[in-house]
Amino acid sequence: MNNEELDKIIEKSFRTKPDFQLPADFAQKVTLSVVRRDQWKNDLFEYLYLTGVIAALLFVVGGLYYYIDKELVVRVFSFMSGNIIQVIFAVFILNFILFADRVLLRLLFRSLPHPLQRRGLEFG
Amino acid sequence: MQHLRASCCQTSCMNDSELISQILNGNMNAFTFLVNRYQKLVVHITGRLIQRHDELEDVCQDVFMKVYQNLDKYRNECKLSTWIATIAYNTSINYLRKFKKVVEVNPDDSVVLRNLTDCRSGDYERTDLHRYIHEQIELLPVQYRTVLTLYHLEEFSYQEIEQITGMPEGTIKSYLFRAKALLKEKLKFVVDENSLKSVKEITHE
Repeated sequence: MNNEELDKIIEKSFRTKPDFQLPADFAQKVTLSVVRRDQWKNDLFEYLYLTGVIAALLFVVGGLYYYIDKELVVRVFSFMSGNIIQVIFAVFILNFILFADRVLLRLLFRSLPHPLQRRGLEFG
Repeated sequence: MQHLRASCCQTSCMNDSELISQILNGNMNAFTFLVNRYQKLVVHITGRLIQRHDELEDVCQDVFMKVYQNLDKYRNECKLSTWIATIAYNTSINYLRKFKKVVEVNPDDSVVLRNLTDCRSGDYERTDLHRYIHEQIELLPVQYRTVLTLYHLEEFSYQEIEQITGMPEGTIKSYLFRAKALLKEKLKFVVDENSLKSVKEITHE
């Protein structure tokens, strides 16, 4: 067989596109994933930020009260240390409500299809 | 709707640097357009490397996620296509390593040729020869497949392939030569004059 002909066939095969396929809406899917990931990051940051602000406020108010009414602060601390399990439980529940409100519920509602999409209509 | 169409038209006219600045300013239509523009490049590289069609979409999505996350680090030192191809190559190699598929540094050509010869040597007459060669390319070692895809299919230069894969230019040339020689060696045994004629008819040469 002619060497040049064989070269031609091989070169042409090298340049022929393989049949790997991605879905037609691949770009939209990727963009949606990127947007959702960004929103999830923002929500999480917002939750951490709020938690930090609340904790800092409690700390500042507690510190101020220590100078105004030392006895009250000591009583509050002794109450908390006496009911440590209940206090931890209450803090956990409150924290979870904040987390659900700021992160989980938003994530859930975003993952649901838009009402127009559910009815099979175009929206944009 | 008209506004959306106008914005899509604007993005389609943009060059790469305009597209990047639009994405960095939060225009997600521009990102969708970037994915559309480069998805063929990414799917060719990842498809040839990982060879798992069921995982292809996930790996490609992972590549574009990395592109989006690192877009602010992109400096115009190389073409955007080269930069995206580098991410696609590294992601695919990491995928192969994760699933413990061997990535040989210097493949033994005699073993490779034996693998090629062992596989479906009688089937080619019934199918298109180009399809047969494509099947044989899939059986080549990963480095050979990578350089063949980047050089012949995506038409990157040797320097660009060097940037993408980190292989020296000499190695790239050697892999290209060896891959071609192996396929030629294989085809010499299996293609006769009659089948060559039928291939020419099919491809209208």
